[in-house]
Amino acid sequence: MEQVEHEELTDDYWRRLEATRPKDLPPELDLFDEETSRRGLRLNRAAYSLKDEPQRRLFAEDENRWMAQFGLTDEEEDLIRSRDWIGLWRNGMSIYTMTKLIGVTGTPLVEIGKQMRESGGGD
Amino acid sequence: MARIVGGIGASHAPSMEHAYDAGATETEEWRPLFGAFREVGRWLDEVRADRLIVIYNDHFDHFFLGSWPTFALGVADEYPIADEGQGPRAFPPVKGDADFGWHILRSLIADEFDMTICQELEVDHGVISPLPMVDLGAAREWKIPVIPLVVNVILHPLPSPRRCWKLGKAVRRAVLSYPEDLRVVIVGTGGLSHQLTGTSFGTVKQDFDQEFLKLIAEDPERLTAYTYEDFMKRGGTEAVEVVQWLVMRAALPADARPHMETYYPHRIMGYAVQAYDVSSGEGR
Repeated sequence: MEQVEHEELTDDYWRRLEATRPKDLPPELDLFDEETSRRGLRLNRAAYSLKDEPQRRLFAEDENRWMAQFGLTDEEEDLIRSRDWIGLWRNGMSIYTMTKLIGVTGTPLVEIGKQMRESGGGD
Repeated sequence: MARIVGGIGASHAPSMEHAYDAGATETEEWRPLFGAFREVGRWLDEVRADRLIVIYNDHFDHFFLGSWPTFALGVADEYPIADEGQGPRAFPPVKGDADFGWHILRSLIADEFDMTICQELEVDHGVISPLPMVDLGAAREWKIPVIPLVVNVILHPLPSPRRCWKLGKAVRRAVLSYPEDLRVVIVGTGGLSHQLTGTSFGTVKQDFDQEFLKLIAEDPERLTAYTYEDFMKRGGTEAVEVVQWLVMRAALPADARPHMETYYPHRIMGYAVQAYDVSSGEGR
């Protein structure tokens, strides 16, 4: 990030500001960071809804009608429809909201883990 | 006046809930962990703890990205069990103490920790995966009222480890300034090493876990110099949860040392439990 010159912006200030954004992480750690949370807002909102029983019922009865509530893009809807866990993760779905989608689709976490390990890295 | 009589650091995980709810705590697989929790539960009885301040992080079970607090405090008389996606676990709501909660809130705000105020809060496995092992009576009733304190380690940017340490110091002052004669135990839940995304999914880092357990016990302030990259590179991205232990440890006297410690690396997590008895120096 470009450092603006100003006497009140000390080295300590810049160090603290830099620390708010984890960087230089090895690709296998693929962090859910600021950028991911912005990109993944719609998908996460959809998966988060499944913490409520009426939403889980709607998901079971009519998945398309359930998806229509969240303003998802066509690509995002396809990822959910095809249970593309790696694609969902790459498009910003947090592992914690994903566990709710995993629950209603009957997918074990170990299966997600296996796909993650074999996915060949992040973005 | 209220006193801090102890501290507990503990992992939290859905796996612990599944094992507990399936009655598998005495199996060969899970006894090493649950045996330790049972001992901590016995010690809580001995030390006559009558309030728990539980520092933890929510996992999209109450809060959502739409508005996610950096620090939040529960000030209610009860906390419903969150439905994490498969129906809430069959426990009554966790008992709270609104009077004590509001006092802690005022004290934290006076200390310039501007908390999100939660008069309603559903608690997830950050609280209730370890809680039944240390706080559940014979009739499945909660024995010790809980004050939940939520620290964001999910949505970046996160509060710095140094800030978490200062928060623990402020929690200590909040307890010491409460006039009612309470015996308080501070609990921090999370970690240790785990990695839930990417090609390193499921990696446990025993070296990091052992180093963390030693430092949090003997030289905890050194951990405030760690960056989040340090925690992530050495323990996995989800290992950042250990800052919850840092808040707890900062609320205890500097010379406190754990009288119980168990480390159990298993499957995709480094599980750990530590307990500190500081009841002999009461009021320090």
